[in-house]
Formats: sequence, structure tokens, C-alpha cells
Amino acid sequence: MEQKGPANMSALRIALMAVLTAVVVVFTLIVRVPTPIKGYISLCDVIITFSAFLFGPWIAAIAGGLGTGIADLIGGYAQWAPLSFVIHGVQGLLIALIARAGVKQGVPGDAKLPMMILGGVVGMIVMAGGYYLAGGVLYGFEPALVEIPLNLIQSGVGLVLGIAVSKAVLKAYPPVRALAL
Amino acid sequence: MTTSTFVAGNGILYALDARAKLLLVLLMCVLVFFPLSQLGLWVIFLSTLLMAWRATGFRQALQPLRSIAFILIIMVLFTPITYRGGTVLIHIGDWNLVTQEALWNLSTLMARFLAITYICTLYVWTTPMADINLALRWYGLSFQAAMVLTLAFRFIPFIADSFRMIQDSHALRMSDEQSVGKSRTQQLKDAIPTVTAALVFALKSIPHVAMSLEHRGLGRSPKRSSYRQLKAKGGLFTQLLVSVIIPTVFWILFIT
Repeated sequence: MEQKGPANMSALRIALMAVLTAVVVVFTLIVRVPTPIKGYISLCDVIITFSAFLFGPWIAAIAGGLGTGIADLIGGYAQWAPLSFVIHGVQGLLIALIARAGVKQGVPGDAKLPMMILGGVVGMIVMAGGYYLAGGVLYGFEPALVEIPLNLIQSGVGLVLGIAVSKAVLKAYPPVRALAL
Repeated sequence: MTTSTFVAGNGILYALDARAKLLLVLLMCVLVFFPLSQLGLWVIFLSTLLMAWRATGFRQALQPLRSIAFILIIMVLFTPITYRGGTVLIHIGDWNLVTQEALWNLSTLMARFLAITYICTLYVWTTPMADINLALRWYGLSFQAAMVLTLAFRFIPFIADSFRMIQDSHALRMSDEQSVGKSRTQQLKDAIPTVTAALVFALKSIPHVAMSLEHRGLGRSPKRSSYRQLKAKGGLFTQLLVSVIIPTVFWILFIT
């Protein structure tokens, strides 16, 4: 892990993406609350927000999209997997891009709180809006309206806990800065 | 935690190559959005349901229905209310409760949603996850992306077990009185140390994984790791052709 060549960066990037994807899957499947429309609300948004704040747009997009997609496959919601991949992928990407804006040094987790909140709010809109559109196409726009409040609650909880957990991890495990690409 | 979605069974779906089946799934999912007749959509759904029944048994075949039951109920409740025009079937005073057009629309949406659900579910039930990864590789997924998928599947049970252990040990620190009658906000607040500990545990494994990948020659040429090749019975071209023919037949039969 001493060298910083392309091979090293590639291996580190793959390891980061794989481990964070697995964490997103675990937080989607283990910690979940059943809801009447989409199936369940989960804490996956906490990890997507955390990945976006600490590791930047691409890691957040892949870990968020792939993690939720795999969780849908394993959890018996295969029809949602490609949609979750796109929706949560874009959510992670945008949260990181907005939170990272204005951070010249350090990791995006060092961003100012208003930027993190702004990124998270945009992520909430993308997530709730994305699932509304996807639900609308799949089973009608009127029934899909029921999903919006549940998705806003899920992503809102994700934003609040995501900020708290990012700060806590930076404090508890400072070497995480070396992993940020 | 089990990550496998494969359900052991038999039938033509198990014999089909993962790549041909993936093409079939994509074409069938696109087909249900084409202007097909009502009958056509229900025939597609019922044929996938029958295939699921034949391949995996009755109880297993009904599982996807259970997972989308709530969505179906919401559709039944909401769709007729929002489509008010057309021939009135049921009314309460001056208020049109159910119209013929609303039922027609509900039937189309339900058949389409059920068909998509069963088409996608059947694919993951009848194809091992490793073969899905190889099929994606064949369609152009990069080696690195396939490696991320493979490693993620390896890590899911490990991280799930670690999370449960951390959760249990955090729970042990609380007395029974402390854990009863907590508000939702307090419960979420209490989750932060558990989530943080689980994340730090997972993050600590990243440098080791990266080092292992380097030892396997990742990022260098030639690589020391490679994926096996998929083999299609009867030839891949024939199987891909079958995957195109099936949706085309449905389309010709049921186009409106």
C-alpha cells in the first residue's frame, strides 16, 4: 500500500467500491422497516450519504447504485434492481458533487454543513422523484404518489444520520482520509 | 445472510444460456410497453407465472405476488378513483365510483407490472449469480466492474455478521429498562455508535483487500486472475436467436 502508482490506485478503488457496496447491501437488507407500497424503507441512504461525503462522486454513485441494486435482487424485488441502480447512483453522485463544491483540501467530509445539507436535500429530491417516475411508469402515476412521503422520510433520515456518521467516522478512524480518492 | 437468489429446479429456463436469457428478459420488458392487446399482456404474465410454477414449484412461484401485494392493493384503490370518464359501472349518487375505462386501465397496468415482476424474478431464480456476472462481462462489463461485483458478494455475509455482532454488543451495554419506551429520535440517535463502529470495521478491511488484489496482479499485465467462459448448449447464436424469436412471436400475435 506504499506505492501510489496506477495499479495501486486501481486496486484501492476496486476495494473501496466493493466494500462500500457490500455495506450498502447490508444496511438495505438488515435494517429495514416494512411500508405499504415499495416494500420497505431502509438505512441504505445513510451509507450513500456517508460515501458521498467521504469518498466523492464516483465511489458514492457505484456503491449506492450497485448496493441497492444487489439488495433488490437478493430481497426479492428484482424488477426494481435496474431502477434502484440508476436512482441511487445519481443520488450519490449529486450529493458528493454538491458537498465537494468549495472543498479545496481534505476530504468532502470536511465540507461546510450548509453544503452537505444542500447536497443531501438534492439527493432526497432525486431519490423521491426518481422512484415516483419509475413507479409511475411501472404501475401508474397516481398510486406512485403514495411512495413520495416514505421515500422522503427514508432519505431524510439518511441525510441526518449520514452527516452524523461521517463526522463520527472521521473522528474515530482518522486514517480514512488516506482512503479518500 | 444468504446472498444467493438461485432456486434449484428444472425446465427450459435452466437450460438456457445466461446471456441469451438476459437478452430475452430485456426484450420482454420492453415488449410489455408496446401497444399490445389486453389479452396479450395477461398471456405474457400467465405464461411467466406458469413457467415459474413448473420450474420452482407452486409455493415458490407465488412469492413475487406476495412481495408486490401491497402495490397491487394501492393500484386497485387509486386507479379507479383517478379515471372518472367513460361508461359508469358503479356510482354513489352523482359520484362515479368505477368506470369501464378505469377498469381497463387498471387491468393494463396490473398485467404489465406483474409481467415485469415475474420476468425479472425468473431470471434471477434460474441463473446463478456467478453466471449473471459472466453474462454481463460478455455484454461488455469491464474486468474491474466485474471484480467489484464479485468482491461485494464475498463481503456481504462477512459485513452482515460483523454488523450483528456490533449491534448485539452495543445492546448488551444497555439495561432492559433503558431500552424500553424510547422515542424514534432517540432510537436513531442510539444507532449512530453502532453504525459508526460497523463502518470503521468495514473500512479497516479495505487496505487488506487492495493489497490482495495487487498480489493477484490487478492493474498489471498479464493478470493472474481471470473469469471462466460460459458455454451455451446448442450454440450461443441459436440461443440468442430463440431469445429474439419469443418476444417477436408475442408481438405479432398480440399487437393492437
